Amino acid sequence: MKITSLAFKRIQGGYNMGVFRTKTQKKKKSVRQILQGAFLSEYFILYLTIVCFVCVIPFVPKIITRSNLLNVMSNLWPLLVVAVGQTFVLLLGGIDLSQVSIIGVTSVLGTVLMSNSFNEDIFASTPLWGWLIGPEGGPMADSAAAIPVCILAMLLIGTLIGIFNGFFVAQYKMPPFMVTLVTQMFYLNFAIFLTQSRNVMGLPDGFKQLGKGYIGGIIPYAAILALLITMIGYFILDRLVLGKWIYATGANETASLVSGVPTKKVTVFCYAFSGFCAAAGSAIYSARLNMGRPTLGEDLTMDIVGAAVLGGTSLLGGKGKVCLWNLP
Amino acid sequence: MKKLLSVMLATAIMMTMLIGCADEKQSSGGGESDSKELTIAFSFEDLETEFWVAAHEIITDTLKKEGYKVIELNCQGDANKQLEQVNDALTQEIDGIIMIPVDGDTAVTVTAAANESDVPIVVFNRPPTSDEGNNITVVCDNATTAEATVDYMVEQAKAKYEKTSKKLTPCILVGDLGDPNAIERKNGFYAAIEKEAGIFNDVIEVPTEWDAATALANLQSAVQANPDIDFIFSSSDFLFPTIQSVVEPLGKWQKIGDENHIILGGLDGDATAGKLIDEGYVDGTGVQDLFFETEEALKAIVEAAQNGETDPDEVIKDPGFALTQGNLEEKRMDMWGNAVGAEQ
Repeated sequence: MKITSLAFKRIQGGYNMGVFRTKTQKKKKSVRQILQGAFLSEYFILYLTIVCFVCVIPFVPKIITRSNLLNVMSNLWPLLVVAVGQTFVLLLGGIDLSQVSIIGVTSVLGTVLMSNSFNEDIFASTPLWGWLIGPEGGPMADSAAAIPVCILAMLLIGTLIGIFNGFFVAQYKMPPFMVTLVTQMFYLNFAIFLTQSRNVMGLPDGFKQLGKGYIGGIIPYAAILALLITMIGYFILDRLVLGKWIYATGANETASLVSGVPTKKVTVFCYAFSGFCAAAGSAIYSARLNMGRPTLGEDLTMDIVGAAVLGGTSLLGGKGKVCLWNLP
Repeated sequence: MKKLLSVMLATAIMMTMLIGCADEKQSSGGGESDSKELTIAFSFEDLETEFWVAAHEIITDTLKKEGYKVIELNCQGDANKQLEQVNDALTQEIDGIIMIPVDGDTAVTVTAAANESDVPIVVFNRPPTSDEGNNITVVCDNATTAEATVDYMVEQAKAKYEKTSKKLTPCILVGDLGDPNAIERKNGFYAAIEKEAGIFNDVIEVPTEWDAATALANLQSAVQANPDIDFIFSSSDFLFPTIQSVVEPLGKWQKIGDENHIILGGLDGDATAGKLIDEGYVDGTGVQDLFFETEEALKAIVEAAQNGETDPDEVIKDPGFALTQGNLEEKRMDMWGNAVGAEQ
């Protein structure tokens, strides 16, 4: 009882001291300190983006029109999804260069399954002709379940490629740059090989809606998917023990291992999640373009890594978070 | 300190973006047209070849001279970026779009976006792969032009065969097969070759993806595997320097009349091809009438925008022609590459 009472008094004292200290600090804060605080805040990019946006409005009033805002955001939803996955890998101190090829390969594989028709003159020379695709389309052509099944297939393929990357990085301690560069080159060319560089057209109208459709004419389907994945990413990093393990592994892998963190499993998870996110981004990109395209993500590496880094994730690992302002 | 440096760098990036947002002063007024100022978005793939450079220059200069506001959108060969850029332009109340699409499939997707926004669109030189949606397509008759060019090359090959009794080994540098132009040119090539199939060995196809580096690597492999190649048709003139760099070390970059001369042809009609024909290295090239195509594209988009037509649907064909050693005197200056070269 005495101990409890003592502890309570200490807590109370600490709380009072805390209040006192806060009050003292508040009194001492000058304009310079406030500015410095804003500049050094982890939300600095967000503040800067808002300032930038507001400053541009008088010069380009069209920037705040509904159509422009919807268009800008629609361009950014798929990038946000992919960047969330990249953030997980960057937090480990790694990098996933293969995301761009995952986008291409899943775009091709997902769309060939659901396409309603293939031009024989163009596709007869592809390795998929005859056993997987034909003049009447892919195996899921005209099926009611085509869209969800094919998107799930895309996500599965992306995750498997991510697991492959993570396994080699975790198990054999191979540099992530090298592992993912090799998988990037392999899968990019594999995607081109599958369709002999041809685009896959003839996709169902429902799939197109994923890229361009709105719920109630206001909320894009792509936004819902992007925000869902962002929230999952945020939840994992901020609310789960797994998130602490990811930060710990990225900050100091040896110390984490000694502390009982299953660093190998954490590493494999992060790469798998990165592959998953790349595949989800691929579904949105493919739906927007209304085609499967083997070279779809080819030029996106800098956009993806740039989005994650500008969003506050350190390339050295252990620092960063998943947030909406990865977008700017 | 590191963080402060990062913050300063980030600030610099954002400031650059801010400056970039400033509206560029457009050339308006002073034009010859009395009509209201129209805003035309010009979306193009890249400026890798002389044909695209010349087309870009003619289109932008003419529009600006006429007093129209031009929004230039360079997607650098990225289909996704092209769609995003056109979507951005569509939110800026533009009156029309001229587009050089990344490929025929992208033309279909971008046409759909323009149709949805009720903005007329002209697809320049690279036709859509399907007739979905409404657009004005200005395109060369690639198959006929390629066939006419290769017909002349086959004539030369026949003369050589009659002299040596040795079958020739033909090779075609194929463009990106996502581009209907590449397919048409390939079809034109085969149509001509099949007329005299008896004098040729099997055709060797070299994929280029319309990329000089890819063409170089694949042509090197093809020439190593088939050193007898003595008949090359390049689906685009911009690959002549690539062909030269591969065959010259083998002693096969020779003028017409030399026994090691490779019968060589292309398609586009650029200044490099013109020079090589003059020098006697190239036998002929198919010429797209760039002046006709740009003029028709500009006329079509301005008319549609001024008349308030939101979804005009038309195909304007440029017949093209073959400039060969046989008709060089007569048609030399009809080729846009020579005309542009002479102007410069």
